[in-house]
Amino acid sequence: MAETLNETAGQPGAGINLRRWLGAFLDGLQAGLAPMLAKEMRSRTRGLRSPVLLTIYLLILTGVVTGLLWLIRDKARLVGPEIGLNLFSFFTLVMVMLLAFIAPAMAAGAISGERERRTYDLLMVTRASAAGIVLGKWLASVMYLLWLVLAALPVFAVIYLYGGMPARQVGLTLIIILATGMSYGALGLALSAVLKRSQAATIIAIILVFVLLFGTLVGAVLQLDYLHSRAAAAGESYPQPGIPWYVFHSPLPALTSVLPGGDGRTAAGFRMPLLGDLLRDFWQQFNLVPAAGMTVKMGYSYASGYIGMGPGLAPEPPGGLAALPFWARFLINQAALLFLCLLVATVAVMPVKPWQISRRR
Amino acid sequence: MIVTRGLTKRYGRIQALKGLDMEVPEGAVYGFIGQNGAGKTTTLRILAGLLRADGGQATIGGYDIQRHPRVIHDLVGYMPDFFGVYDDLRVGEYLEFYAAAYGIRGATARTLRDGLLELVDLAAKRDAFVDTLSRGMQQRLCLARALIHDPPVLLLDEPASGLDPLARVEMRELLKELCLMGKTIIISSHILSELADLCTHIGMVADGRILRQGPLEAVLAAARSRRYTMRCLGTADAAVTLLAAFPEVTVGEPRPVNGSGDEQVELVLPGGATQAVAVLRHLIANGVAVTHFAETWTNLETTFIELAREETA
Repeated sequence: MAETLNETAGQPGAGINLRRWLGAFLDGLQAGLAPMLAKEMRSRTRGLRSPVLLTIYLLILTGVVTGLLWLIRDKARLVGPEIGLNLFSFFTLVMVMLLAFIAPAMAAGAISGERERRTYDLLMVTRASAAGIVLGKWLASVMYLLWLVLAALPVFAVIYLYGGMPARQVGLTLIIILATGMSYGALGLALSAVLKRSQAATIIAIILVFVLLFGTLVGAVLQLDYLHSRAAAAGESYPQPGIPWYVFHSPLPALTSVLPGGDGRTAAGFRMPLLGDLLRDFWQQFNLVPAAGMTVKMGYSYASGYIGMGPGLAPEPPGGLAALPFWARFLINQAALLFLCLLVATVAVMPVKPWQISRRR
Repeated sequence: MIVTRGLTKRYGRIQALKGLDMEVPEGAVYGFIGQNGAGKTTTLRILAGLLRADGGQATIGGYDIQRHPRVIHDLVGYMPDFFGVYDDLRVGEYLEFYAAAYGIRGATARTLRDGLLELVDLAAKRDAFVDTLSRGMQQRLCLARALIHDPPVLLLDEPASGLDPLARVEMRELLKELCLMGKTIIISSHILSELADLCTHIGMVADGRILRQGPLEAVLAAARSRRYTMRCLGTADAAVTLLAAFPEVTVGEPRPVNGSGDEQVELVLPGGATQAVAVLRHLIANGVAVTHFAETWTNLETTFIELAREETA
């Protein structure tokens, strides 16, 4: 066979054919996604790691519920919706915290593990595209997350027996929990693809989750303090900025819009432990505290149910994204974070980057 | 089948490839030999689409590797020098996973899996976990993985590295079977004896460049025609002195021949047979008693070492 460097006759020309590109993209996606998902799920069901993790997770959740029930047994006098409301809020908070850390920790070794095991090259020479591999890995972590949520449903059911939580709130809470795990898991995956070492990816993922969960709230307060002190120094009136967008990368504000007592009180005036008190102080900074005695849930009542607490200033009526309930703003933020992380992971996984190819053409 | 022209690659300050030109005909078993760090793995990784070349061009089956990576994935089966396995998969599942990653599923994948396990003699290990296999078995499994989509081209980077002698023999037999199947194979190695009885073609690489390439016998013959052994009656001192008239000829140290009192000298004649005639004529005309003057038998190893030394010089 006479060898030349010329292109073989009849093979694709230089022009980009959108249909052909789309076909190749879907082909690569399928070749990566389905086998990777199947392999990851198979791997996760083998060995001791998963059952041990699940056992610890369920022990913590049941321990929290049982302990809380024991603590309030005298106060509650038999049963009542307040017990259900408080248990549900507390249980949800613990579950969000657990999944917020478990999901990225599990995903942080997904791509870097392939490099460390020296299986990365073997994957990259197949028809599986980088996007397919990343999506397969991510979906596998989502499946594991669903498994954890499903495993916790019996505990939810016990709480539900006490009543007090509308089904819509329960559904929204589960959506927030899942969205937290899905987006934070994607963050772990992106770090795994970029950093190449699982240990470094895990540590940085956990630090970033801390920042997203709590640092965003602290950052918002510091930002507000800075604006106020600058206004005070200039002799101007205090500015009334909206809640910074990055606050909604934390699921905690979103939970205050669906959980009873997110404002510090339930409808019946029963104080919710931990979450309500903490976030009540936070919302006060932004003049978003309901009037005493009002049966208000944060976010839902944004346009109608809060009063200004600032020094003599009523806040501007919210518009645009600010008009949305907190849980909706959280979902929008997490969707953006998810997309960005998957995109970064896909590019990092590619052995030859798109811009490198175009530079050589 | 595989052609590279002026391939260059730099890692920071290190220039790994300095314009590598390679030609591998269809159906050839191309022994890619060179010392560690010569550029073998870099070349194979570029050909497999795992690395971007800084300059030059490479095609496989006429397809540019940069412009048609998906076609290249279908054409090429790649086995790296160091590789890992998924320790939580069974042997059969391992091959099925890679079959699916090449878009092969269902009954076709299972038939391929069983056929390849027979080929690499691992059929009995189908349900064993991959990490329980010996190193040699894992190498064979990795080769089976590289063959799962029936590629016409195989790029094997040090396929026998880390294997014990028996496993090396098994690997060599396996590669011979693949030759009979008509695959175009590039095997990189720095253990030259591994390749001598396996390859149809050879490419010697040093410092990022191809020194020699072509059919194995032609490369060896070209080297043999340059190396001569000369024996003289008595000492060879006079011959060595006379050879100073040929500055391009490399003359070795005279060595005694079996206690006979005679001496022999190794010569490297860049001018080949023509120069040999001139040298011999000159020595005899000046009265040197030459009893033996012939090409030295050269193996792959000697040829490579000689070429590498020349390149270094």
